[in-house]
This record gives sequence, structure tokens and C-alpha cells, in this order.
Amino acid sequence: MAHGLDDVETGQAAALPRRAADRILAFVNDLVVKASSAALVAAGFVLTYSVIVRYFLKISTDWQDETSVFLIIGAVFLSSAAVQAMRGHVAIETIVGLLPPRVNRIRRILVDIGSLAFCAFFAWKSWTLLEEAWVEGYHSGSTWGPPLWIPYSLMTVGMTLLSIQILLQVIDELASRSRPR
Amino acid sequence: MSLLSIGLLYGGATLFVMFLGMPIAFALGAVATLFMIMFMPSGSVDTITQNVYEEMASITLLSIPLFILKGAAIGRSPAGKDLYGALHAWMHWIPGGLGIANVFACALFAAMAGSSPATCSAIGSAGIPEMRKHGYSPGFASGIIAAGGTLGILLPPSITMILYAVAAEQSLGRLFLAAIGPALLLVALFAGYAMWKFRREFQAALVQYKLAGVHSELLQVDTLTVYDKFALLPRVLPFVILLTGVMIALYGGYATPSETAGLGAVLALGLIASIYSVWTPRELEPILIATLRESTMLMLIIGMSLLYSYVMSYLHISQSTAQWIVSLELSRWVLLTAILLMVVVLGFFLPPVSIILMTAPIILPPLKAAGFDLIWFGVIMTIIMEMGLIHPPVGLNIFVIKNIAPDIPLRDVVWGVMPFVGLMMFAVLVLCIFPEIATWFADAIMGPK
Repeated sequence: MAHGLDDVETGQAAALPRRAADRILAFVNDLVVKASSAALVAAGFVLTYSVIVRYFLKISTDWQDETSVFLIIGAVFLSSAAVQAMRGHVAIETIVGLLPPRVNRIRRILVDIGSLAFCAFFAWKSWTLLEEAWVEGYHSGSTWGPPLWIPYSLMTVGMTLLSIQILLQVIDELASRSRPR
Repeated sequence: MSLLSIGLLYGGATLFVMFLGMPIAFALGAVATLFMIMFMPSGSVDTITQNVYEEMASITLLSIPLFILKGAAIGRSPAGKDLYGALHAWMHWIPGGLGIANVFACALFAAMAGSSPATCSAIGSAGIPEMRKHGYSPGFASGIIAAGGTLGILLPPSITMILYAVAAEQSLGRLFLAAIGPALLLVALFAGYAMWKFRREFQAALVQYKLAGVHSELLQVDTLTVYDKFALLPRVLPFVILLTGVMIALYGGYATPSETAGLGAVLALGLIASIYSVWTPRELEPILIATLRESTMLMLIIGMSLLYSYVMSYLHISQSTAQWIVSLELSRWVLLTAILLMVVVLGFFLPPVSIILMTAPIILPPLKAAGFDLIWFGVIMTIIMEMGLIHPPVGLNIFVIKNIAPDIPLRDVVWGVMPFVGLMMFAVLVLCIFPEIATWFADAIMGPK
């Protein structure tokens, strides 16, 4: 990005904490993507193990399906911030391309604020659900019956990260808008 | 507020935020949440996250990321190139054999990878240059690949089919089997067209040669030795074994569909490790990141679509619309045509995943009331959504082709693809007249419904 000189002088102080936040989140996302990848592969192995155990060793399976559900749901929610960082959540862009650049920038900011509002609301409700599950000791209804705070906490952390990611993107956009280009 | 106005407002608000360009998952979630707050009892908003979790925590739905992992593992390895090379070696003697080999390669690859864009780029990156080198017109070459790639959402293990099975509460195994006959029909139509079109281009080249002495690569005949033919086979065999192994595990009753997904992913990773020595974390990273990116995007859309339909059904919007459609007492075929047209229009803008989850509660009850087999309809609807992958304005596969062959003008790609859209419409018509093409195979293996 090309800045004017004045811009560098005045903008840098405000930009520093923002860049630090960007860097921290990028680092967290990187870790989370690695963990999610491992979780996905692990789920594959758990299900394979389930087939082998049931058909060759004739042992009944009870925990495999639910474990894979937790692993995959965790991978999906946790990596949603990383996907948002790549702008990987698809949107309909048919009309967007026809807008003049100025209007389009405003539209983009509005859309991101809307996404942020929804994700933050969802994250907040996930926290209350997690608290409820923890305090009341919710368990899944299956015979194995694992505690539900495990998947709920993965969902909660994932949605919180996603909200922070969108928030940083909104701040970035507002900052770049106030700067002359 | 009357039910009609709430329904119209719900639909209108959704269209508005979606066309504003908000990511589909968030748009669906936001509209659903807003309507929960405005029109549903205050307690219901508190259960929104539990709702989404419970809808998503189904092992059938969560098998989707594993199928994507299997596809990505195969798609990012040189398997596509090998598969294509072997088929070409065996089919080059047929007029238009190269084009036909590409159609077959797409179908086989699609069945292994289960993804339409992955098939296009895996087979197309080897197939399009090869076809052009042999004098095929660029439009024709890209049409074959774009259309062949769409078989990915029809052939098992198609993600689209998994969602349809969940939304329509139909047996996934039966649905997979019902897709095989129609997929073979499409392969035959595509191959037949490739042969016919090749002959036309060949004749034109011949006339040019006789009149003006312009030599075309089309007139060149390839010679491949028996050694060439057999040399490529060992590389393809393991993948064919993977494909059949997974099918046997599923239909032999050894594994559930989700276990099959896990097994397939592990086997695919094992095969690329042993055949192409892709196994270090550094080499696996692009495969895993591509998988996560696609799965997370899809699963969030799925979760939010389910929330969206939950709200739609709680507010009785879906039931009333369905009842209204039934009350019109349209004749069966008018009803089917109207519904399919709606799917075509939605296909202009929305990915198949959202179309299925958003429309199923509205369109399936009237179709059932009119006596249509929902397994058969799942196949028809999928073929219609395949068309949406190759026709403008969205046509995902067209853009994949643009990526792998950037020098072919978009115009040529679009015109090259159009005959295939026609062939798909023809296939839908044939399936309406002979529904047995879809239902017979499933009935034969799993017993009548």
C-alpha cells in the first residue's frame, strides 16, 4: 500500500496496536488451522478404526461416531476465523461488480458490520450455552454420554475468534477509508 | 402481521442481504435470528446456538468434510493426469477418442473425488492442452471438461446428494445408487456428442486441407504401442481399487456412510503417500488447508441454512407455501416444471447446498402429494443444479476452466459449454419418461422401496 508522508507520521501511532492485534490473530489462526487439520485426519482414523473393530474383532462401537462429530465440529468452528481471514466464506457477487468503487466500499463496510453483529450475537449466545452446560452438567443423550461442554466450548471459541477477525477487518477498512488513497 | 406478509418479508430480506454481498452463511443466520427476535417467543433466541449445534451434530452431515478431504488428497496428486493418460492410451483409436477419454476420466475422477471444480481442474489441466494440441477447438475442449466435471455432484459420494438425503429424509445409500444410471446416461450423451462434434471438426479440417492445403492437427493419427498402454495401468489401478473398495464397504454393509467417508479419506491419504510419496506435513499442508477452507465454508452454510429452515417452519412459512402450492391443483408435470424452473433460477446465484436446504421444506411436500418418487426427484434436481455449475452468470466450472486455460476467451468457453446444457436438459426429459433409469438399479440392489 502506498502512503503519503503525512499519513505515515499521523497514522502510524494508531496503526501499531492494530497491527499487533492482526499479528496475534494471524498467529492464533495458524495454530488453530494446524490443530483443525489434525482433528480432521484424526476423525478419519477414528471412523476407520470403528469399521475394523466392529467387523474384524466383533467389538461393538459406541464412542467413535460422537468422537468424530466433536473433532469435525471443532475443526469447522475453530477454523472459521482463518477462512474469514482469506475471505473464504462465499457470497453472491453478481451485482456487486456493477457498483461504482465508492459505493462498493461503503457496501463492503456495511456488509462486514452486519456479519460482525450476527457473529458477535451468536458468540455471546454460545458463551451463555457453554456456561449453562458447564453449571448444569449437560451430557449427550447417547449410551456413551460425553459432557456437552466439550463441543460447546469449541463452538464458542470458534465463533469468538471469528467475531474478532471480522472486527479487525472492519477496523482495517474504516482506517483505510479515512486515509486518502 | 399476516402470515403472507411475514413470508414475503422473510424472503425479501434474505434476497436483499444476499445480493448486498454478505457471505451466504452469515446472511442466512442473520435473517433467521432477526425474525426469531421479532416474531418468535423471547426464549427461542436463547436456544439459537443449541439449535444450530444439534442440527449440525449429525454424523451424516459431518461426513462431508471427510469426503472433501478424500477428494482433495486425490485432486492435488498427479492421479488425475495418470488416469487421463491411461484412458487416452486405450481409447485414442476411436474417432473423437481423445474427447471421449476426457469424459470418462472426468466421470471416474468425479466418483473418486466427489467434487465438481476439483474434477475440472484435475482432468482439465492435463486434458485441455492435450485436446488443443490435437486440433480440438478451444470451446469444444473446455465444454467437455466443464460438463464432465459436473458429474462430481451426481456420482457418489456426492455432497449435494448427502444434503438432499438429509433434507428429504431419504436413504443416502439408495440415493447414491439411483444416481448411477442417470450418470451413465449423461456420460453416454457427452461421449456421443464428443464423437459427433469431432467428426464435424474433422470434416471441416479435411475440406480446408483439400481446398487450401491447410494442415490441421486433427488429421494426425496417434500411434501408441501396446507397451504404452500397459505402462500406465499400474498407476491407475490403486485408485480404481479405492473406488470399488469404498463402494463395497458401503453397500456390503460393512460401514455406514460416515464410516465410509473416514475410510475413504484415510485410504486416499495412504495411497498418495505410497504411490506419489506425498506424506510429509509440508506436502500435506496445502491439501489440508484446501479441505478446511471448503469444509468450513460449506458446513457453516449448512448449519445456518438449517437454522433458516427451522425459523421458516416455526413461523409456518414453509408449510403454508407448500399447502398453497398443493391447493393450486396443478397437473403433475406443470408442478414439476414450475419447481424445476425455480431451481434453475436459484442456480443462477446460489450454490447447490443452499438451494437444497432452503427449498426442500417448501417443494418436497407438494411433489410427494403429487405422487413423485423423492429419490427420483433428488436425481433430477441434482442434474438441474449441475447445469447451474456450467451456465452463466455464476457457472463455477466456467471459472475453473478460465483458471487452468486463461488464454481461451470466455465467449468460446460459454459457447462450448452450451450444447452440454442442452444434453443435460435432454437427459432430464429422458428421466421423466423413463424414471426406471434411476430407480431400477437402487431397487435391484436394495430391494423395492
